[in-house]
Amino acid sequence: MDWAPTGTGIILGYCVLFILYFPIVMLMILSFSGEPLTGIPGDWTITWYEDVIFADIARREGEAYGSNFRIGDPLLLSIMLAFITSAACVIAVLIVGPVLPRIRWRGPFLVGFLMPLMIPGIVGGVGLFMWYRLVIHVKMGVWSLVLAHFVWAFPFALLAMLVVASRFDTRLMEAAEDLGAKPWQRFWQIEIPILKPGIYAAGFFGFLLSFNELPFSIFMRAGQDTLPLYLWIQSGAHNTTVPLIYAMSTLVTVASVGLTFLAIRLAFGGQNANK
Amino acid sequence: MTAAAYTSNRSSGLRDFIPRLPAGVWSLSGFSLLWFGGIVLPLLAIIVVSFLQGRGLKINFDPTILQYKRFFSYGGGEMLARSVRIAGTVTMIELLLAFPFALWLAKGCKNNTVRLLTFTALTVPFFLSPAARVIVWRSVFGINGVVNQILLGVGIVDEPVLWLIFSEFSVHFGFIGAFFPTMVWPIFLSVSLIDNDFLEASGDLGASRLRTLLHIILPLALPGIVAGFVFTFIPMLGDAVVASHMGGNNVLMLAAQVQSLIGVSNFLVAAALAAVVLAIMLAFQVLLWLALKPVGGLAGVFASLRR
Repeated sequence: MDWAPTGTGIILGYCVLFILYFPIVMLMILSFSGEPLTGIPGDWTITWYEDVIFADIARREGEAYGSNFRIGDPLLLSIMLAFITSAACVIAVLIVGPVLPRIRWRGPFLVGFLMPLMIPGIVGGVGLFMWYRLVIHVKMGVWSLVLAHFVWAFPFALLAMLVVASRFDTRLMEAAEDLGAKPWQRFWQIEIPILKPGIYAAGFFGFLLSFNELPFSIFMRAGQDTLPLYLWIQSGAHNTTVPLIYAMSTLVTVASVGLTFLAIRLAFGGQNANK
Repeated sequence: MTAAAYTSNRSSGLRDFIPRLPAGVWSLSGFSLLWFGGIVLPLLAIIVVSFLQGRGLKINFDPTILQYKRFFSYGGGEMLARSVRIAGTVTMIELLLAFPFALWLAKGCKNNTVRLLTFTALTVPFFLSPAARVIVWRSVFGINGVVNQILLGVGIVDEPVLWLIFSEFSVHFGFIGAFFPTMVWPIFLSVSLIDNDFLEASGDLGASRLRTLLHIILPLALPGIVAGFVFTFIPMLGDAVVASHMGGNNVLMLAAQVQSLIGVSNFLVAAALAAVVLAIMLAFQVLLWLALKPVGGLAGVFASLRR
């Protein structure tokens, strides 16, 4: 296309991507450096990684350790929440996704389901907190974190599913019915295989969005810390644990990138590029 | 296609009394009931709560605008104006940066490897821990950070430059990197859906590049631009990490204010603040609705994907 932008626009775009990736790459490099807080790499060491792992193990065994960084409980909680949110998103998009594009009054449903996207997370979190804690007097707990993460991840999972479900040709279902397929057969043998990319996407969105969720979690918890919350609180404090946060954040980043690649391969690996 | 197409022909005793709807519609209704009752209603209820009085966890159902008066007398108005101004400025910068880039990615870039790598680069940050993305800037821009070391070493400045961190500059800077993909993706998607024939026809009929851009691409990409605006501006407005890590106490934004209000159990003033933000968001919803109307609304966007 001769009208497509050239030069400056593209370079500027990649400059922004550089600004985006610079701190992430720098984080990884600094996590292996002796003096990470100076911002200058060098004096290579894995001591911060050792501290991340052993500080919590030592604490659990009742031994004294140089650092009071305790990553175990937040990590376990975050992994558990991510699995629950992921499963909940898959079930919810399977309920909503295939039906929504085919009903007449889908507008209000769509606005309602996508509402969390229109509200800053911090306001959404405080809103749900007010309702459940102040108005109907329920105690916060793991259930409220699950709810908060689901509220955050579901709209994204639904959008991914709708892209797939909107292309779904319902004549396939009619043909299957005419050929004598029972409802559960139509569901398992026609809907599920066709909707597979949407299902994977929903599970993946649910997992990673929950695993890194922060704004809702700030209010929807009762004492427990999720991993992003713990890292955020610790990184705000100017103390000795900050190098450990670099190490832990590097581990989380590597895991997230790995999962993203895995999900992209799962979702698109089986198909040929259609362009 | 109507839902009736799913309806089974067989009927049994009990089923004659229940409207013959497919299982899908029943489960959608059930889920919707839970969603609207458990999520949408509570979020809207915050507006009602903001007009009540009380202390701590006790509230009286007695309407008042006291909370709003308190909120604005505590300097809430300035904080809100600052948050909207910073998020708005950065969103406009993102739009200017992302539009040419997305246009090029959708229609100009022919190299598949470059495309795939750029897509991946735009996807990955979305799933990274928010703190991990900005925490390093403190070491880079701090008083003893890399930038200041270099500036002092080269001799450009005699004293460390202080405005590099914990300033409005650093907050803007931190936002620009973090919120680029949310602006690129929707614009990219909407531009991708534009039929190449339109663009060629426009060129064949003698339209200049600028004319094609203004009269063909811009109107057809409008849903993507609006979606990009929403996906960028709204999370930025409520962002808890960039403002606190890069702005410190000097650039107080929405999230920090909400947290400090909740921290001192000032729930009702927090509710008033949340209600004001909700009102801004409702105005946004109307804007989105108006922008999407020419293409048949949000549902129409998905209908267009069915082609």
